[in-house]
Amino acid sequence: MAFLSLDFAILFIATFLLYSFSPAKARNFYLLVASCVFIAWNNPFFLVMSVLVTAFTFVAGRVIEKFQDKGKVQLIHALSIAVLVGLWILFHNPAWLSGILHIRSGAAGDSSIVSRLICPLGMSFYTFQAIGYLTDVYWQEEKAERNFFDFSLYMLFFLKFLSGPIERFGSLIEQIRRPESFDYDNAVYGLKLIFLGMLKKLLIANYLSPYTSDVFSNVNDASGLQLLMTCLLYPIELYSDFSGYTDMALGGARMFGIRLSPNFNFPFSSKSTAELWRRWHMSLSFWVRDYLFVPMTALLRRWKAAGIYASLLITFSLLGLWHGMGLSFLVYGLIQGIIICLEMRFSAVRTRFERRVGTRIANVVYIIRTYLLFALSLVFLRSESLADAVEFITRISFVPHHSWKEMNIGMSDHFCIVAGTTLLLMFIYEAFSVKHDLIEKSRELPSWLRWTIYFSLFFALFSLGMFENDNFIYLQF
Amino acid sequence: MKMEKQQEILMCIQQVVREILKNDSIVLDYGTTSSDVKGWDSLTHMLIMAEVEKRYGIRISFRELMKVGNVGDLVSMVEKKVN
Repeated sequence: MAFLSLDFAILFIATFLLYSFSPAKARNFYLLVASCVFIAWNNPFFLVMSVLVTAFTFVAGRVIEKFQDKGKVQLIHALSIAVLVGLWILFHNPAWLSGILHIRSGAAGDSSIVSRLICPLGMSFYTFQAIGYLTDVYWQEEKAERNFFDFSLYMLFFLKFLSGPIERFGSLIEQIRRPESFDYDNAVYGLKLIFLGMLKKLLIANYLSPYTSDVFSNVNDASGLQLLMTCLLYPIELYSDFSGYTDMALGGARMFGIRLSPNFNFPFSSKSTAELWRRWHMSLSFWVRDYLFVPMTALLRRWKAAGIYASLLITFSLLGLWHGMGLSFLVYGLIQGIIICLEMRFSAVRTRFERRVGTRIANVVYIIRTYLLFALSLVFLRSESLADAVEFITRISFVPHHSWKEMNIGMSDHFCIVAGTTLLLMFIYEAFSVKHDLIEKSRELPSWLRWTIYFSLFFALFSLGMFENDNFIYLQF
Repeated sequence: MKMEKQQEILMCIQQVVREILKNDSIVLDYGTTSSDVKGWDSLTHMLIMAEVEKRYGIRISFRELMKVGNVGDLVSMVEKKVN
């Protein structure tokens, strides 16, 4: 069930109505039922899998808290994480799963079973939530949850189930324990956020997607100029797609009075790759920072800078592999780690450059440099294989096959104008959003102006929106 | 006496932070947090902690490190371990 489908709209509206007009005790029940329906709608096995992981994590959390012996607690924590990571690796590696099923059933590799079971949706996200929760309990930062019902909602809440945000236990469980009643302001705020997400997805990401996909699938046929433009446009497509999804998730949750964590903070304004990762997919990068990077740097702190570099390379390699068990994902992560190491190592050069050309010019150079490096690294995330990514990057040039019109990678002028205008509006909106909550501020506008904006955007969305593609890129992870 | 000792530790930590972050204009007080100091982030945090440990010849456990909320907490922890 995709966010942009009639099935989802019916489920969401029905749940919202039931939630809004029911007593406090029943509200979470409806949210949990809706979450189970949402997950099982895609595949009942996905629900079985996620409930099993939830039950396992719930019990493991209680056991970790119960034991006093430090050694035993450490062992149980490590084993629990090994089970969760093991399951995740197994289901993200079709070849291994196929091998195990083959041995177990003795069948001659029933690929239909494997294809039905592999890679349960949302598994990367809820597995990370589970690991974070168990680690918080182990570090005594959080108490183990007593209520399985509330814990299940923390793990399975349908608006963040598919692609996050990866929620921290402490922030979400408190909201689950005190379900809010219907609130007009929350509902309006949520609706505006959903609308904003739809604009990003339907007027930018879906406009670019068919054309960039075409180039990525036919690297050998594309000209150097087309490869260059695809490389430059893909970060925008990915951002519009993923932040569009996130806005819809945050907006939907807000309508139920739940505030999910933000995932993006104007990432393309970043002046370094380290800063980019504090602004891009924040729920993942902060998770990785707190549960992997910080413990690792603490462990290796005697190595001084070498310990930080080693931790960066390991952490970002694992962050890359979180996207999938392929070599190209590993390289994607490693590139981020290497760039941040170099930024750290040569920080003095940066300071000298700033002094020489002035902060403003230096900032513009850094923003462009950060974007270009990120765009190049994303080729590894997007390509089918490492060889394809290398082929793509080595063939990038300013040389067209026939004419400079190839810059539009096959998009018609109409498409370029619609996607380009929306992109420009999105950047202006986000630049102002850094200091002000524009959704909140929009209420202060005169009603005639506010409604003119709503109607114009509504009209643009439904007359120009590309509704054909309802899949989001991050679903595959 | 105790105040003097704490002030001395604070100055030492300030010196460490200045050296690691290569910025002599940094001024710390007991309420300063890492987010108040430009450049004191997750990349440089453990370098600062390791240098503080080295200067005082102490060992701070991971759990203790996690509980450090501001410079004042770090000063108290160092003072406790030194005594």
